[in-house]
Amino acid sequence: MSDHESVQQLLALSAAGLLDAGEERLVREHARQCAACAAELEEFAALTAGLSALPLPQPPAYLLAQTSALLAAEADRRQAAFLAGAVAVFALVFVLLIGQTLRTLAGDSAAVVWLGWASITSVLGAASALVLASRRRLERSIV
Amino acid sequence: MIYQAAIDENFPVAEPTQVARLRSGDPAALADAVGLYQHRLYRYFLRLVRDAASADDLFQQTWLHVVRQIHRYDAARSFDTWLFAIAHNAAMDLLRKRPGESLDDREFAIPSRAPDALSAVLAGERAAILAAAMAALPALYREALTLRFEEGMKLEEIAEVTHAPLSTVKSRVQRGLEAMRQKLTRRDLL
Ligand SMILES: [Zn+2]
Repeated sequence: MSDHESVQQLLALSAAGLLDAGEERLVREHARQCAACAAELEEFAALTAGLSALPLPQPPAYLLAQTSALLAAEADRRQAAFLAGAVAVFALVFVLLIGQTLRTLAGDSAAVVWLGWASITSVLGAASALVLASRRRLERSIV
Repeated sequence: MIYQAAIDENFPVAEPTQVARLRSGDPAALADAVGLYQHRLYRYFLRLVRDAASADDLFQQTWLHVVRQIHRYDAARSFDTWLFAIAHNAAMDLLRKRPGESLDDREFAIPSRAPDALSAVLAGERAAILAAAMAALPALYREALTLRFEEGMKLEEIAEVTHAPLSTVKSRVQRGLEAMRQKLTRRDLL
């Protein structure tokens, strides 16, 4: 490949500032003697300068507000999930403590009855909480 | 480099303290970040997907993703590239579903007339013509050019954002520029 041909491959990248020092030197030295490459390099330079100076498109005015609303809803959802988790852990500890107390005071069978009853009510409670939560999400998405 | 200086002045980036607040889930820090990056992120999407409604959607999706994934962000690395990599993934998901949008690196033919080029020429505005010529390139080439020249990213940063090897990024920038130059010199615009 002649100097001219190999430099031609490098002109765009030179204007883009993406050549290493050696390649850049090769381009500069060749362009000093080759009018065609010098002219092309100038065109690439005009192009990259133009691209760097394109006017910044303005985002629509509502975009920030809409995004904040979306992120607030997300924060809300996460907080609700965290609270629900905390309440569930608290309830579990509470049920187990009562079970333990019953066991020492009234024996194993009383504790088993208590735990059975508590697990039925908690399954029902959790199911209704899930239904309520999905309703609320539905309402929010309609609004 | 001339454009590098201009970019550094105009585009503030999140500082480490802000990023730390963001990681802790501080809503005010999040609002600040959305404001801080709104122009750059919106421009990136607009260049890539070329329509305002999709850019809006992607912008919001990206921040939602940031909120959900901020715990995965490694504070030792650049927040900019992390943010733009999320943006890149969201945009690629959308473009992949779009008929007629090519997302490969093979040889591309430049359409003889960009969708908006004619009206831009009539309007006689050089910047509009450039933007239209860029918009006529395939998506991955528009992306490489906007990240390099509008964002002022280094080769390595573009590679990280786009999950592409350095050589690929380089060739996208090169071929994108070559295609634009050909198109614009034919019209005596350079
Ligand atoms: Zn030459």
